Amino acid sequence: MPLLSAAAVTKRYPGVTALDSLTLELNPGVIGLVGANGAGKSTFIRILLGLLAPTSGTVEVLGINALTHPLEVRKLIGYLPEHDCLPIDVSAADFVTHMGRMSGLPASTARERAAETLRHVGLHEERYRLIGSYSTGMKQRVKLAQALTHDPKLLLLDEPTNGLDPEGREEMLGLVERTGREFGIAIIITSHLLGEIERVCDYLVAIELGKLQHAGALSKLTERTAFVRIELDDDAAAFADRLRAAGLDVQSIENGLLVALTDDRTYDIIRDTAADLDAPIARMELDRHHVGELFRPPASDFRQPAGAA
Amino acid sequence: MTDTTAPRAAGTIYDLGYQHYEGPRYGRWHVIRTLAAFSFRAAFGRGRGGKAQVIPYIVMALVFLPAIVQIGIASATGQTSMINYASYLPSVTFFLALFAAAQAPEVIVADRQYGVLSLYLSRSLSTVDYVAAKLIAFVGAMLAITLGPQILLFFGKIIVSADPWAMFTSTYKDLWPILGGTFVASCYMAFVGLALGSLAARRAYASASVIAFFVFMPAIGGIANSIIQNPDDRRYTILAQPFMVMTGFANWLWDVHTSPRQVPNQFGARGAARALSRAGLPNEYYLYVVLGTCVVALLILALRYRKTEV
Repeated sequence: MPLLSAAAVTKRYPGVTALDSLTLELNPGVIGLVGANGAGKSTFIRILLGLLAPTSGTVEVLGINALTHPLEVRKLIGYLPEHDCLPIDVSAADFVTHMGRMSGLPASTARERAAETLRHVGLHEERYRLIGSYSTGMKQRVKLAQALTHDPKLLLLDEPTNGLDPEGREEMLGLVERTGREFGIAIIITSHLLGEIERVCDYLVAIELGKLQHAGALSKLTERTAFVRIELDDDAAAFADRLRAAGLDVQSIENGLLVALTDDRTYDIIRDTAADLDAPIARMELDRHHVGELFRPPASDFRQPAGAA
Repeated sequence: MTDTTAPRAAGTIYDLGYQHYEGPRYGRWHVIRTLAAFSFRAAFGRGRGGKAQVIPYIVMALVFLPAIVQIGIASATGQTSMINYASYLPSVTFFLALFAAAQAPEVIVADRQYGVLSLYLSRSLSTVDYVAAKLIAFVGAMLAITLGPQILLFFGKIIVSADPWAMFTSTYKDLWPILGGTFVASCYMAFVGLALGSLAARRAYASASVIAFFVFMPAIGGIANSIIQNPDDRRYTILAQPFMVMTGFANWLWDVHTSPRQVPNQFGARGAARALSRAGLPNEYYLYVVLGTCVVALLILALRYRKTEV
């Protein structure tokens, strides 16, 4: 049974089409949902939860129609919303316990599992403190814990790294990765940062302006998009010309070059050219963070549909 | 990175302290009960910080005070006639309004203010169930502070009397109006508090609007009073005053038709009795206003939460 199947899902708001005939079938795994802000990611997630009725089309989650049986679908899902969703004057232990019971767990089980999930997200020591006293990173962990505490079949994580510092992002992604790979829970994670998606996901769905742009296993995608990123202290024009003359696909970026990696010979050419020109190379790395090169640059100048943020 | 999109075996136990849950998952009533209990506790600030409990405890002390005073006097003087159920509700209406203004927002506004509502609705909880749980919780909280003192009065009256058994057999029938009247009054206060709360974006605004209901409604009545020329029509403006309505309702409940001079001059009771007697409306009119207000409040809640997303 597929994790999710969407057939021609369209959602129109007055003046804006948030989702345009989206057809998609996904198997369990860690699935990244990418797109610019307002591309329709959150709208799609709300339709999956049965919180929003599509204008047309159907969605099934684990074989259950989300439109006609939203309560059944929600039993299987743990949801981490993008926005704030935590009370300030309750302790994390009490709140996660409460959310477990709200998902149908008996009281004692809910308490045990709350302690367990809070330990998993790294909040064991602080769990009796009021949530209002938590940092953004800790709040984000509580949001993950409440989504996980009732042992869902599917986790929907809407921009889980939003508002976190780089270290916090790293830790959150680590948690997401562990949850997906080691606990065997299917995850759909949205982000507008492709690097994050690539780090934790094994399947990628890209939406742009409500249309499905791409869906496929991530490893295949990144094979096609491996680059050698070269950062130079000096003007890179001469270096780029020499590489192009040697038959490589070279693209200038802000402080250096991106060279498309074809085979091992690419490295040889770069090395020889650098030696010939005595080029001041500051940094060289294999860069897989360019799934984005597959898609057009994110459109940032169109309005978000009301309520779909 | 490997392609691991193939379905994984569900229910495998991993050696990481994480266990899948295979036990029972309860349905609708369990969820409503859980939310109602959580909200009931919130109404009294339980499980919250110390500050959240200040107002609930002050109100508790204030609503029990008239009952304790009455029992004290009755016990000192030996006159059980001092114990008067009819005057109890009017004498605490102000404190009940204070409780509704302070605590209804904790029950219904906080969820929206902090976004918790969207989490609830992403669980298997419909908006109807959500509102039902909130109503149960807050009517329950109101009952706890209104019924408690009257039950105390009831038993106090029996205990301080010369012949407790005779007193019990002659007064046990008072329990029905006590229970019914407290329930209706609790619904009135709770529905008004929750309905006005459901319209506010923040707790402070909700508190202000509940206070405004109890304070400005009489003002509107006063304005209407000065506009309406016909004195026969003018007396209906008393129905716009929640405190008067509660007094009239208590009179209906206990079938009181006394003259103001017989009413003890405490908690503004005599003033209210004078106003009521001046208006001279039948007592059941006040009951109709109480019930009508409850219906309107429920309609507001139904309209406010009719959509899945709020």
